[in-house]
Amino acid sequence: MSDVHSWEAEYSGATSHAASGPSMPPARAPASRQNDQPMPDVRINEQKEPPPEETPLEKLTRHWMNERHAPDILPAQDRLLSSLLDHIRRQSDTIQLLRGDPSSSEEDHIRIMLAQTEVERVKFIVRSYVRTRLFKIENYARYIIANEVVQRRITAAERDYASRHAHLIDRHFYSSVLQSLPESQAGLDDVPSFIMPPMITEPETTRAVFAHARKDTIARTPEGKTVDLAQGSLTLLSFAAVADLVASGDVELV
Amino acid sequence: MSLPPALRASVTPPELELIACQELVEIIPLIAMEKTAFISGAYGPLRPPHRAQIPIWMAVNLKQKKKCHILAPAWLTVDYLQEKLVHETTQAEFTKLPFRFAEISRVLLDVASDDLQSPDKLRTLLKDLREARQAKARAGLESLEHSTLGLSNLSAMEINEIRPFFIKAMSVLGQLRPGE
Repeated sequence: MSDVHSWEAEYSGATSHAASGPSMPPARAPASRQNDQPMPDVRINEQKEPPPEETPLEKLTRHWMNERHAPDILPAQDRLLSSLLDHIRRQSDTIQLLRGDPSSSEEDHIRIMLAQTEVERVKFIVRSYVRTRLFKIENYARYIIANEVVQRRITAAERDYASRHAHLIDRHFYSSVLQSLPESQAGLDDVPSFIMPPMITEPETTRAVFAHARKDTIARTPEGKTVDLAQGSLTLLSFAAVADLVASGDVELV
Repeated sequence: MSLPPALRASVTPPELELIACQELVEIIPLIAMEKTAFISGAYGPLRPPHRAQIPIWMAVNLKQKKKCHILAPAWLTVDYLQEKLVHETTQAEFTKLPFRFAEISRVLLDVASDDLQSPDKLRTLLKDLREARQAKARAGLESLEHSTLGLSNLSAMEINEIRPFFIKAMSVLGQLRPGE
C-alpha cells in the first residue's frame, strides 16, 4: 500500500507545483529541485496557443535531433540531461516498488507497464543523444583538444575523453607508421599542401542542414547574405549560418 | 563504435516514428486509470466512456491490448485528405499538413485501422498525396542553388527522404562556385 502511496505522493507533488501558476515561469526556485518535473497537464488545454511550454523530454528530443543533424558538436546540455536522468531513476524506483507489491490490481499492472515502456523510450533517446556526441568527439578529438572555443561547448568529462582518445590515436599512429618515417613527415598537424586535405578531421561546418525556425529570426550566411527565417518556415542552408541560432534555440534542425 | 555508420548520415524512419509517437491523440478508454505522472507529463484519469488525451505510443500500447479505441485526428479523414490532395495537385507549393503526418498516419493505420473510417480509402489518399509531393520535391531540385532553399510545409519524413541527395547536391554546387 505504501508503495502506491509514494506514486500518488510524487504525482500530487507534481500537480501542486503545476497548479501554483498556469504560466509556469522557468523559475529556478530551490524547491523545484525535489520535483524538477512540473507535470504540465495545463498543456492539454493550452495546446493551441503559439509556443506551448516545452517539457524537459521535448527539449532533449530537440537537442538530440539538432545533434544528429549538425556537422559540428553543439553546446552540452548537461543540466537538462542530469535532471532527466534523475527523473528516470525516480520513475524506475517507483516502478520497482510497485512491482514488489503483491496487492496491486490490474489497473496498477497497466500503469506499471506503461511507465516502464516510457522509461525505456526515454532511455533510448538519452543513449542515442550521448552516443551522437561521443561519435563526434572521437571523430574530431584532435581538433577539439587544439580548439578552445569548442572545448567551452563540451563538459569536463567529454574534454577528458577527447584528450585521452587523441593520445591513444597518436600513440597508435606513431608505433604503427610514423616512427619509421623521416622526422619532418612524422607530424600530424603540419600545414597541408594545397592539394591534400588536412590530416586532422574537422567538422564540415558549411554542410547544408534543414533549419526549422521556432520564431522569426534572421540567419547570416558565411558569404554575408542575410536570410529571413519566418516562424515555422523550413529552409535548407549552410550550418554555419544557423549555428548560433541553433544554440540559442531559435532554430531547430529537422 | 559510438554511432553505427547507418545512423551517421541521417535519422532513421523508426527514430522519426518514436518522436512522432510523443504527440497526443484522443482515445475512448475501455479501462479506468487514475491520473498518473509520467516523465513526459501527467495523463489521465481514464474513465471508460469519456474521452482522454494521451500520447500516441500509450494509445498504441493500450489498443494492442484492446483497452481503448483511438479517435482519428481531425486531419486523418477522407474528406480532409481529399481536399488536401486536390490542393496538392493544383497548386505549385506544398500543402500544409501536420509535420509528422506520415509517421502518425502509418502508426494509426497499422494498429487502429478498425477505429478509422474507410482505412483503405485513407491509405490510397495518403499514397497519392505522397506521390504528388515527392514529384514536387524532385522538381524543386531544379531551383537548388549553393546557398539557401526554402522548403516550407515539407514533412519530417519527406525531409528525411531527400536529405542525403539535397545536402550532397548543395555541397557540390558550393564547390563549383567560383571563389570570391
